[in-house]
Amino acid sequence: MASLAEQTEQAETERAEASSRQLAAASLRRRKQTLELCAAAMRALSGQGRLHFRGPALYRESAPVPMPAPHLHPGTDSTDLDAFRGAADGMALRLQHSDAALHGSLCPVTPARMLVFEMLEQFRTESLVDAAMPGVRANLNRRFQQWSREFEASILADTDLGIILFTVAQVCRARITAEPMSPDFEARIESTRAELAPHLGTHLAALRRERFSQPGFARHALSIAETIAAISEVLEAREARPSRSGGRAPQFQLLFDQDSNDDAVPTAGYGGSDALDSGEGGYRRFTTAYDREFQATDLVRAELLCGYRQQLDDHIARQGINVPRLGRALGAVLSTAIHDGWDGDALEGRLDGSRLARLVTASGDRRVFRTERTEPRSDATVTFLVDCSGSMKEHSAAVAALVDVYARALELAGARCEVLGFTTAAWNGGRAGKDWIRAGRPPNPGRLNEVRQLVFKDADTPWRRARPAIAGLMKKDLFREGADGEAVDWACARLSGSSGNGGRGSNGSERRILLVVSDGSPMDGATALANDGHYLEQHLRDVVAAHEAAGTTEIFGLGVGLDLSPYYRRNISLDLSRGSSAAVVGQVLAMLAGRR
Amino acid sequence: MDQLTRLMPDEMVSVREVFNLDSDLKVAAFREADEHVPEVDPAYRFNHDVTLAILAAFTRNRRMLLQGLHGTGKSTHIEQVAARLNWPCVRVNLDGHINRLDLVGRDTVVLKDGKQITEFQEGIVPWAIQRPVALILDEYDAGRPDVMFVIQRLLERDGKMTLLDQNRVLDLHPGFRLFATANTVGLGNLNGMYHGVQRLNHAQIDRWNIVAALNHPPAEDEIGIVLARVPELDDAAGRKLVASMVAVAKLTRDGFRVGDLSTLMSPRTVITWAENIGIFGDAGKAFQLSFVNKCDEAEQPLIAEYFQRCFDRELEAPRTSVYLPAEPHPAAAFAVAAG
Repeated sequence: MASLAEQTEQAETERAEASSRQLAAASLRRRKQTLELCAAAMRALSGQGRLHFRGPALYRESAPVPMPAPHLHPGTDSTDLDAFRGAADGMALRLQHSDAALHGSLCPVTPARMLVFEMLEQFRTESLVDAAMPGVRANLNRRFQQWSREFEASILADTDLGIILFTVAQVCRARITAEPMSPDFEARIESTRAELAPHLGTHLAALRRERFSQPGFARHALSIAETIAAISEVLEAREARPSRSGGRAPQFQLLFDQDSNDDAVPTAGYGGSDALDSGEGGYRRFTTAYDREFQATDLVRAELLCGYRQQLDDHIARQGINVPRLGRALGAVLSTAIHDGWDGDALEGRLDGSRLARLVTASGDRRVFRTERTEPRSDATVTFLVDCSGSMKEHSAAVAALVDVYARALELAGARCEVLGFTTAAWNGGRAGKDWIRAGRPPNPGRLNEVRQLVFKDADTPWRRARPAIAGLMKKDLFREGADGEAVDWACARLSGSSGNGGRGSNGSERRILLVVSDGSPMDGATALANDGHYLEQHLRDVVAAHEAAGTTEIFGLGVGLDLSPYYRRNISLDLSRGSSAAVVGQVLAMLAGRR
Repeated sequence: MDQLTRLMPDEMVSVREVFNLDSDLKVAAFREADEHVPEVDPAYRFNHDVTLAILAAFTRNRRMLLQGLHGTGKSTHIEQVAARLNWPCVRVNLDGHINRLDLVGRDTVVLKDGKQITEFQEGIVPWAIQRPVALILDEYDAGRPDVMFVIQRLLERDGKMTLLDQNRVLDLHPGFRLFATANTVGLGNLNGMYHGVQRLNHAQIDRWNIVAALNHPPAEDEIGIVLARVPELDDAAGRKLVASMVAVAKLTRDGFRVGDLSTLMSPRTVITWAENIGIFGDAGKAFQLSFVNKCDEAEQPLIAEYFQRCFDRELEAPRTSVYLPAEPHPAAAFAVAAG
């Protein structure tokens, strides 16, 4: 009986875990969707393309765009559309109305001056909102009020310096944008405001008047920043550490720079690697002597593959995915029009010699022309590159199903498809690691492991023949660690057929698409220890950026329950906790069909 | 042939008076209107630069190509100038099915005195070039190449037209004017919005003396245009409403430019929207019916965002979106158990 109770309990726990995973994935998706909508609205408002969010940070192409004003950074745990709307609209106005170069040349360097100056410049651009857009104005106000409430609830509001900054923010924004101050705050800042008034009075009046001219405005803003900084320095010198009152929100960030954003949702880790930047010659491999490329059929016994295949087929059958329909949809997405034969009996077009006799025999019948017929044909190669690192084990069945369905549908659509995987042959560096230790642990050795590149299906093998090999993705003991950057390089090289004829590549395809299925940042224990934590991440980012810049291959990141936006410009996150459902398949299709 | 007696324009009118533009120019006009002169639309608002270009084309006999996105009122602009000059005006739509014979004319079998005879019937081009008529070729970039070469000769100011079937050579009437309107400048369908347009022969483009662009008007002008068309909105509240509508339209155009949208709102759509507000009584509802439903379903959430920015309320619509996954398949529940 006890075992039964235990079993029930275990099943209960598993169910709870699965549902919480699902909830997290759903909220991540909602958040990504919200951010995407806000980014699109921002592109239209500012009239500048190529802007997008990576995590919550704003980027133009692959360069970060600094947005230092504190109220433009809604908390990362909120999925509330309103908060992001206000922040995105604020950023759009800033991009539209503020000259970044001029601003940079005027901006002071000490933190307190910078904070005040950044805030005032942001208020200035917010005051320039088009009168025909009351929605933008309301979004900005809502966001500012929300930020003010958060500020008030934080411990910062209890310090003298904090209340001064708060007062400056409230008074200046009300003055510059001519929006009334919230009465809740008015009482709170009354005395501070009265103290500050003689110091700021003249400049405060000028702010609104000068809001159309950035340099004119900056003169007064700088004076205010200077005054506040002077007061704060006096206060700092005099005051002991602020007292901590219970129940207050402990963390409240005032100065934002792009790299230091704490992020509560699962966003893939990103950060610079000093080892990679300082090492000569960029990314290094300590030794490539143990790197191998395998066919999946070489690693897994045929009988085992047969069993896996059976499981995979059952799984796919249960999901009820309509593969022919997916094939047609992919055909529409990937096709280009090509000329294919002629249509005769036309009233216009090129003269058709075989019909000329008709002019004599049937007068008045002028159908003697022919026109070129165009047919859609898929001219694309799609590669799935599966991250076979340890954490992907639990998703192996779902990933195998997804890849298998797509391989079949792509074949129906007339496109070519490759299925590749990458992992390592050992944990903690393997023989490469031992060699490094034997060599006396030289610093910055580069990648330290035995890389294994797996080919489950190459572009020339038809799906029918590759069926058992694809099932090899389900063999969990292949899954170890991985160096993503090298794998992406390898897959791109295979796509462009650089080993072959060159030019358009041996496969001669018009479109080359690489889909990287991964659930995490590149992780290799030995490499991370011997270099630094971000070594492989930074390399992955560099590799993807280089291939995107070259423009020969379209790279998409499919994050399994993870936001891969730090690495891949085009990315989605998938929820595979229920296997590869029709919804997941549709998500991938929508991503491929996306215009951007 | 009474028109042939009216050889040339017979008076000069002041641009300042007739078109309300800041210019001292005087342009040639006819004293009397005939049946081919378009109706004057008193609410029409002229674009300063384009009007001057059109007037130059009329007065100095220049061939003019007017390019612009759809719904910006290119043909109407030329027509309204012609209307105020009393210049007869004929529009021909050069769609992909107009062929050379339609323009030049052809032999047809007719009954005359009870007998069947073949007779040459003039097409629109020979008819127009013998009269003081402004011929407007609409959708010029959709015309087929064989048609273009008929027009090529007309583009030369002193060109003559030869009717091969007739052994006749026609002189161009000195009052004949030629205009064309197009969505592209002959570069073809670059953004996927104008299917069916052709890449034009550069020798053709080269022969146009004036090429002007009429694109979306500045916001104040567009507000004026909409209010002139829908005068019941012309009060303080209505002005505010129309300003917001025009702001939405501008966002869709910027969104199109940066590649987020595949459709954009033309001034014509804004006018339709304003008219539909009168029918449905609600800006959001009318917006849904006049524009949103024309757009790709995947882009509708973004358009709803634009609407929120300009109206400070949510667009009430079925917000189905490709970003949101559909309900999982019922069988999906088994997958976890089996995996």
